[in-house]
Amino acid sequence: MGELLVPFGYDYMIKAMWVSALVGGVCAFLSAYLMLKGWSLMGDALAHSIVPGVAAAYILKLPYAAGAFFAGFLASFGMAFVRQNTQLREDATIGIVFTTFFAAGLLLVSIYPTSIDVQTIVLGNILGITDEDAFQVVIISVISLAVLLLKWKDLMVVFFDENHARSVGLRPRLLKIVFFTLLSACTVAALQTVGSCLVIAMVVTPGATAYLLCDRFDRLLMVSVAIGAATSFIGAYISFFLDGATGGVIVSLQTLLFLAAFYLAPKHGVLAARRRIQSAAEVQS
Amino acid sequence: MSELFDFITVPLSFGFMQRALLVSVLIGAVCAVLSCYLVLKGWSLMGDAISHAVLPGIVLAYVAGLPLSLGAFAAGLSCAGLTGYLKENSRVKEDTVMGIVFSGMFGFGLVLFTKIETDQHLEHILFGNLLGVSVSDLIETAIIAGGTFLIVLLKRRDLLLYCFDPQHARAVGLPVRWIHYGLLVLLALTIVTSLKAVGIILVVAMLVAPGAIAYLLADRFERMLLIAMAAAIGSSVAGTLISFHIDGATGPCIVLTQAALFVLAFLFGRRGVFRTRQGTGADRCCRTAAAE
Repeated sequence: MGELLVPFGYDYMIKAMWVSALVGGVCAFLSAYLMLKGWSLMGDALAHSIVPGVAAAYILKLPYAAGAFFAGFLASFGMAFVRQNTQLREDATIGIVFTTFFAAGLLLVSIYPTSIDVQTIVLGNILGITDEDAFQVVIISVISLAVLLLKWKDLMVVFFDENHARSVGLRPRLLKIVFFTLLSACTVAALQTVGSCLVIAMVVTPGATAYLLCDRFDRLLMVSVAIGAATSFIGAYISFFLDGATGGVIVSLQTLLFLAAFYLAPKHGVLAARRRIQSAAEVQS
Repeated sequence: MSELFDFITVPLSFGFMQRALLVSVLIGAVCAVLSCYLVLKGWSLMGDAISHAVLPGIVLAYVAGLPLSLGAFAAGLSCAGLTGYLKENSRVKEDTVMGIVFSGMFGFGLVLFTKIETDQHLEHILFGNLLGVSVSDLIETAIIAGGTFLIVLLKRRDLLLYCFDPQHARAVGLPVRWIHYGLLVLLALTIVTSLKAVGIILVVAMLVAPGAIAYLLADRFERMLLIAMAAAIGSSVAGTLISFHIDGATGPCIVLTQAALFVLAFLFGRRGVFRTRQGTGADRCCRTAAAE
């Protein structure tokens, strides 16, 4: 029993668990919107695109978040520009831009080796996060959470029905820009916990799991945030015993929960559907 | 002139550079051919997903003592299969399901990797190790790339029809299901062979960029295939040589060369930014009408 409490005896573990839970919760909040729209690729792309910015910021000894935001902004601008000026499919445009940015980041690191390992950027390293970086993550997450708590209803209206949103006096364009800014902020924060490759899970999986469990959007949001925060907290805790791979553990937990919901969800699960078919057959016969 | 000569010949005096160059050209060519179809079909995320999902397969194959490529291939295909299954049986959108499946597999692979001692370097799986390919790697790549290449070239019309218009393909009696799975298998094979050279993450670039470049330049599919291959092979050669001289990672250099070509095509190509802006309105109308 005492062994299980060991992680709580270390300051760095306590810090890692709470920061992960905060980031996981905020990302899960966003995921409820992202998976409704089918913008998963966008989350993945942003997470990869900020890598050169982070690498450059570490090389120049700047706050990593500043570099990440700059690179993310450049990438979004590049995607929008290419999309407007060609007939290429959207997914190809996104694919080209994010891989180019990612490659630039890798090249930068290979030419100017930094104190920060590439693997830290790509796979995250919340157990070894510096106080400085943790501080940036907390600030970003708290601000994003505040904006989301204030605007969640407006965002919901815009995402479900843009025309309706316009008629009640909301500005969909502005709100979408707000949403994408929040999304890039969260990818920047999540980069530290799970790394750029797994950010996509943080901003997609909890929302999708909640979507299988709830029918009302406000409840969906709450379930999603609970899943995101809990899996991140527990994931960081478990990774203490594995000696690493925090991101991998968090994402594995989230995926397991999704699979469980996929089978067992009371209304939208596979088993429930099977039961419905059976009882329908019985009624008929 | 002699500087240019040295630029090319000095790297080639090393055996590992010769092998790297050969492998990168082979991989570039086969990825380019497939990329034309992926760009038309809108399957870029599929390439991304399959490439990330191979990680647990590599570790498990190592544990079971099987060839690593086999494990990677099986994991890549099961990612595609699982995505299809989850999507059919739930109300979640396809791209979301794909994101969940591949990130879940990748995360699980990472956990496995930290728990199980293998002789593989994670860095090499993630980012590739083009300068370290052995002769047997080269032969394996040549066989798989050559096979994929032949199949795609032989079936290029069927694949094209399927990518453009699956309904029509079904109507004229093509086995659409088989073509769908065949394309997935080819994609997984190509990704597995490319892993050694460019790694999990940059494979996506090789599978999108050449097709996109060619799409901006060509007006017929045959020409698109040729342009994509030329662009990919050229970038592979140039990228490998450049990486030798600037002492940087090879995979990123190849990808960035492709990106530079894409920017050139984007600015000056047939459907490029400058071309469309030059013409008068009427001229532009004619051109788009002709293009259609």
